[in-house]
Amino acid sequence: MGNRLSKKWLAALIVVAIIGVFAWNRLLREVPQQITGGTEEYFKYGSIGTEAEAGIPYWIWLVLPRIFPEYLPGPGGYPSVGFMVERGEALPIGFSRKVIGFERVAFNCAVCHTSSVRLNPEELPTFYPGGTANTMDSQAYLRFLRQAAEDERFRAKEILDAIQQVTDLSLPDRLLYRFVIIPATRRGLLEQAANYAWMEDNPDWGPGRIDPFNPVKVALLDLEAGGTIGNSDMQPIWNLGPRVRGGHVFHTDGLNDDIREVVLSSALGDGATPKSLPMTELEEIELWLMDLEPPAFPNKENGSEFEIDEDLAAQGRAVFEAECSTCHAFDGERVGTIITQSEVGTDPHRIEMWSQEAAAAYNAYTEGYPWEFESFVWNDGYQAVPLDGIWIRSPYLHNGSVPNLRAMLQPPARRPDKFYRGYDVFDPNDVGFVSDVAEERGRAFFEYDTSLPGNDNGGHEYGTDLGADDKDALVEYMKTL
Amino acid sequence: MKIGGTARTRTAAGVLEDNVYMSPVDEYQARYRRRATVLSVFCLLALFALVYGYFNFDRPEDFDDVVEQFKYGSIGSETGGSVLYPAGGYVPPYWIFMTMPEVCSDLLPPGGLEAVGLIMEEGRDRPIGISRRRRLGMDEVGLNCAVCHTGTVRETDDSEPVVYAGMPANQLDMQALIAFLLACGQDERLTYDAVRRHTRENDGRIGFVERLIYRAQLLGPGKQVDQRSVAMTEQIGMILGDEVTPWGRGRVDTFNPYKALQFNWNLSKLPHDELLGASDFPSIWNQAPREGMHLHWDGNNESVDERNLSASLGAGVTPVSIDHPRLDRVKDWIWELPPPEYPFAIDDALAARGEPIYERQCASCHAFDGADVGTVVDIDDIGTDPFRLNSYTYLFSVNQYALYPNSEYQFKHFKKTNGYANQPLDGIWLRAPYLHNGSVPTLRALLDPPAERPTTFFRGYDVYDQADVGFVHDEPSEGELKFSEYDTALPGNGNGGHEYGLGLSEDDIEALLEYMKTL
Repeated sequence: MGNRLSKKWLAALIVVAIIGVFAWNRLLREVPQQITGGTEEYFKYGSIGTEAEAGIPYWIWLVLPRIFPEYLPGPGGYPSVGFMVERGEALPIGFSRKVIGFERVAFNCAVCHTSSVRLNPEELPTFYPGGTANTMDSQAYLRFLRQAAEDERFRAKEILDAIQQVTDLSLPDRLLYRFVIIPATRRGLLEQAANYAWMEDNPDWGPGRIDPFNPVKVALLDLEAGGTIGNSDMQPIWNLGPRVRGGHVFHTDGLNDDIREVVLSSALGDGATPKSLPMTELEEIELWLMDLEPPAFPNKENGSEFEIDEDLAAQGRAVFEAECSTCHAFDGERVGTIITQSEVGTDPHRIEMWSQEAAAAYNAYTEGYPWEFESFVWNDGYQAVPLDGIWIRSPYLHNGSVPNLRAMLQPPARRPDKFYRGYDVFDPNDVGFVSDVAEERGRAFFEYDTSLPGNDNGGHEYGTDLGADDKDALVEYMKTL
Repeated sequence: MKIGGTARTRTAAGVLEDNVYMSPVDEYQARYRRRATVLSVFCLLALFALVYGYFNFDRPEDFDDVVEQFKYGSIGSETGGSVLYPAGGYVPPYWIFMTMPEVCSDLLPPGGLEAVGLIMEEGRDRPIGISRRRRLGMDEVGLNCAVCHTGTVRETDDSEPVVYAGMPANQLDMQALIAFLLACGQDERLTYDAVRRHTRENDGRIGFVERLIYRAQLLGPGKQVDQRSVAMTEQIGMILGDEVTPWGRGRVDTFNPYKALQFNWNLSKLPHDELLGASDFPSIWNQAPREGMHLHWDGNNESVDERNLSASLGAGVTPVSIDHPRLDRVKDWIWELPPPEYPFAIDDALAARGEPIYERQCASCHAFDGADVGTVVDIDDIGTDPFRLNSYTYLFSVNQYALYPNSEYQFKHFKKTNGYANQPLDGIWLRAPYLHNGSVPTLRALLDPPAERPTTFFRGYDVYDQADVGFVHDEPSEGELKFSEYDTALPGNGNGGHEYGLGLSEDDIEALLEYMKTL
């Protein structure tokens, strides 16, 4: 009799084991990525450990814009929010896909740190890894995901019908999608939306900007956004070597001066967890960024408006040495240090977003890990940044409130009150992206209004009293940085 | 006696166990129950296998002759994604499709499907370009390559038409055809009874299960054929009507329906001039020497295979339903297919005089060994109408890379250009009207300066004009068959640009035209 019972148990055990192995295989099994082509390719498409927690199932991600096109800024799928797509790539730059049970897609560093540039509207864009994602509106993407998840059509029938148009899922996979993956994805997206609810009370980020630390405060540190506004420009991350060797602080407000912590905390901010951080790969990216150089200005010959006037640039060099280099040259004595807000006078919101309390909380968050954070601090000013590759880093100031270099050399009252962001056609005369074009082929650009909180274009009045000739020369020289 | 189990009794002293013995009747009943269980499990499995086999059955109609396969064979565009949703694509299942021209005859010009340019051959149940496939428990139909790439030619209006497989479908009004299918699909006269009656009257037979599907899932208000037609009308209706420059016979807007149907873009939110992308159907012979050239009018792809897969999406396949082996059969055939020879008299001496003129005036861009053949000429230099170029956008191209996802077929080659590609001129005599938008009716007119080219003419007639090299284009109709009036003043229809070979002497023009008949 006991024999019979144990047979039943054995059978049950085998069935449970088979289901368990199947479920593990289809939901949790981690498959290493195959990314060839070196660190740059890994930077653009490799994993930084965000897929497990923040990853969206690839097939669902792929069909969402086809089911909910009305929640995107315009026709055009994901690229309509300004993601950059290389020829022949199924995913935009900055999206990694990895099999963890099923294929999932999530962000990596490149989504915020790659620039798109065209020298004229007819040209195809060139992408520069390490730059600032000047066309990318991550808030539009977050809102798209939220609205899709809130829509009642985010359910198995609609999503599986759409997936069936592009791939043939097996019956067991379809059941998993129907009963596990689709509902879980929806829950996850709604949870993410709840974590970002605070941003709807703030002015919009617009393309090329992000509130980098309120999401961390709310999602990781159990703090409130508390009505603070951290909107600021994405940062270039090339030339880390001279920055690290010079002992520079990082982030616009210099809240950390340890590059390893900056890299790891950025991955956590993108959705990685302390356990999922791929330390080896992140270190490889960090090493690659140490020596990554900014792109040179597209200096064209023969009277083109992109031709650099070498003589004028040489004159400008002297102006730069006199006016800017203390704070902005790699060998300047104040470069990479904090200039207090009262001295520089730029918009204070970004500083008020962070606090001693938040810094302490972030240091405590990683306690017990071999790489635990200890360098987060709060400063009452902004970093004097090196200006390498400054031509491609517009708009300027930490909050991106000044569209081009020429406007930077104007007194605040004469800088533009409103302009457009997100267009990647370059203006070689004013040095910056073209900022007076409202839309291109139906895609509306973002109107930046300097009167909104966090968007102020005041302060940093250095060089504003130079003569016209000196300004011309200085701008010419700055193209060469 | 056998022990049938144990009985347990809980007492103060603990649990007592007793053996329960089976009587002969118990044994008989147990045996009976076992057999009944086995039998019913077996029956269930058999039933499941039958149902599964019935719905999973997938057999396209095939043809030994590759030309017939091209004209009537399947590439996998037949309607429907799954058993639960068998309606899809452009065309409803076979018997519904066959009934449409009858019940919706007022939605077609007099003459039915042939009047919108589908070609009926003797002894066939359906027009060229319509494939048939038994799948999802039904007879289904779809469009194939031949619908856009087969045409007819007549020497005079008294001659029998000759069908040329691979030539542009000069006679086909695709806009009218799709508009008809979508309108009839949601027409209340398209009922199950109408389909049943039509089928009976034509000695057809709809199977029992198929009838159930027709009735329960497909036909009637709100059912799938209606639903699907309404949905597709929402997606592409605005480019099938008056809001765009008419495509007319022999032309299609390739990429705008694609934006809506593959990606569900809302076309009304695109700049309106982007929606005027009509251009000529191309010929599809001689593909081997074209590999690596810039294909499509604007040269947006350099891979013949990828271009074929893209065109198949246009015919209604999905990455799931596409039939690669059968598409490959067509591909292998057009790879080496020579252009059809000019069937009328050629003055060999005159043609020989034309050859050096061609070499001098045309060959560098248009001969297979020309230095610039297959490359893209900037729009400012070629000067032809820009609308087709502008209908294919960078934003669209980067979306295409997600087509055929996670497969060896994933698109990698599409690229936005800024001009039009130099085409080889093999079989050019059959490819009139000329220029990408078909704005110049004959080769002779193309050798005139733009200002002297005809500003209005008619497209779609298959009687050949041997003197000017092209189709007769000054006839508005033949009997009740109406041709498409082409107005070069409409946006997208401009006949300017391509100002090459102008200023040749009359004699040289005659010689060049004669030579070009031999290409």
